[in-house]
Amino acid sequence: MPKILVIEDDVDMVTAIRMPLEANGYEVLAAATGEDGLQKVKEIEPDLIILDVMMETTTAGFQVSLKLRDPDEHSEYAAYRHVPILMLTAIHTTTSLRFGPDEAYLPVDDFVDKPIDPDVLLAKVGALVGG
Amino acid sequence: MELGQALARLSDGARLTLRADAAVVYLLDEDGACLRMAAASGLPAAFQRREPLEVAHSSLNEDVLAGQPLIVADARADPRAVDLPGDYRSALCISLTHEGDPLGVLHVYADAPRRWGEEDAHLLGPLADLGAAAVASARELAALAALEADKANFIHVATHELRSPVATAQSLVRGVLKGYAGPLTDVQADLFGRISRRLDFLESLVNDLLDLAAGKAAGPEEQELVLLNACVGRAVLLLQPRAEEKGVELVHRACCEELVVRGAEGGLDRIFVNLVGNAVKYTPSGGRVTVSMQQVDDGVEVAVTDTGIGIPAESLPHLFQEFYRAPNAKASDEVGTGLGLAIVQDLVERYGGCIEVESRVGQGSTFTVIFPLFHLDASENYCRLPAYLERKNTTTS
Repeated sequence: MPKILVIEDDVDMVTAIRMPLEANGYEVLAAATGEDGLQKVKEIEPDLIILDVMMETTTAGFQVSLKLRDPDEHSEYAAYRHVPILMLTAIHTTTSLRFGPDEAYLPVDDFVDKPIDPDVLLAKVGALVGG
Repeated sequence: MELGQALARLSDGARLTLRADAAVVYLLDEDGACLRMAAASGLPAAFQRREPLEVAHSSLNEDVLAGQPLIVADARADPRAVDLPGDYRSALCISLTHEGDPLGVLHVYADAPRRWGEEDAHLLGPLADLGAAAVASARELAALAALEADKANFIHVATHELRSPVATAQSLVRGVLKGYAGPLTDVQADLFGRISRRLDFLESLVNDLLDLAAGKAAGPEEQELVLLNACVGRAVLLLQPRAEEKGVELVHRACCEELVVRGAEGGLDRIFVNLVGNAVKYTPSGGRVTVSMQQVDDGVEVAVTDTGIGIPAESLPHLFQEFYRAPNAKASDEVGTGLGLAIVQDLVERYGGCIEVESRVGQGSTFTVIFPLFHLDASENYCRLPAYLERKNTTTS
């Protein structure tokens, strides 16, 4: 069963993400802060990370993705560099900010907009974990 | 001009005008209790006073602030001279008053006694008035800038605080509607469907309101040269799936010339996504939306024409007002906040363009946007207003 770690501070949003994923055979674990998320990555070795863009600070999500994808071979997260990251964002549609996966600036694999559409979420998760 | 610069000029001007040895501008603090040295000309650094001067303990300044220019003929014989810096012998002091409000005082000093008389006070009066007006306008500008900054900050916070609970609620409801919380009865499905539509509306309302507020709060934003063909193309591409879903033919008559305007890409995208989106929204199945673009004189004209429900003639004057929706749009099943066109007009005008609409009920509408064309071969800063817009400006002003 593929394991998915959801790093998101809004418990209700975690529920909204958990419902369709669990119904489709994924195991879902959650972390409420970036720091807790990084810790849990090491503990549970997830197959996919769903990461909120804004948590306790506006850049917490960015920081987590930058740490996980740190190109330094001695990085404590070097073993998890290959774990795909799906970023949750609400900024996408309403500002002119254009997010795109960018290894140097924002190393994530794909984005999903809030509010979450369960079908879109499942399609993106499926594509990233090959499930 | 910044306040500091204006005050420095005032003190220099006063010193030169009266051939004084020094001139000092003191400004009252907010509650009017203290005077602080704000600018000085010719005053040795040793005499520049950092600590505030309490008005209540300075009979000289109290008298000056009351409105009468005051002349100290000989500081050694005048007890009020304790409030003067250094050991100047003569002083001429006048209030800086704007529209009846004392804002501060202007002092000029001389080493010799008995330097100034009434006529000198008359000479200094207009200069003091000008200085007071500069102080007042600089303060108003600073207050305005602070207000704009507060507003921008509020919008930033509100963006997150208003939008995120709506997005969370909508995400949960969508999960429930898809049956992930167990099977729904028909009645439950109907009710959750209604909740979902209300949340969609709330989401678009929050987004539109914040966009509108952000636009109004923003100062002159960074503008760049933007290829308009790309913005229009993107909008058509984005709305093609919705048009197909609805059975509306969306036709793009692309312009083969590259037409460049000055604006912000995000805002320009928003304009065309909104206009093409509206056209698709209010055109029934089997209808057609045509988006065309061409150069007209020195302008770029983008027209979005639909065969939709049209806009009643009496609604046309109100179309760009915030929250206005034409009665036939309200009566339709389509959800709308009445803010989209207000945002579009705001953006179009910000980029120096204009927007017009022609419509007939039951036949369709055409929204035409015209921007000044930026000539790439001309100098970087040269941008001529299209003849079309000039005519429009003359007729409206």
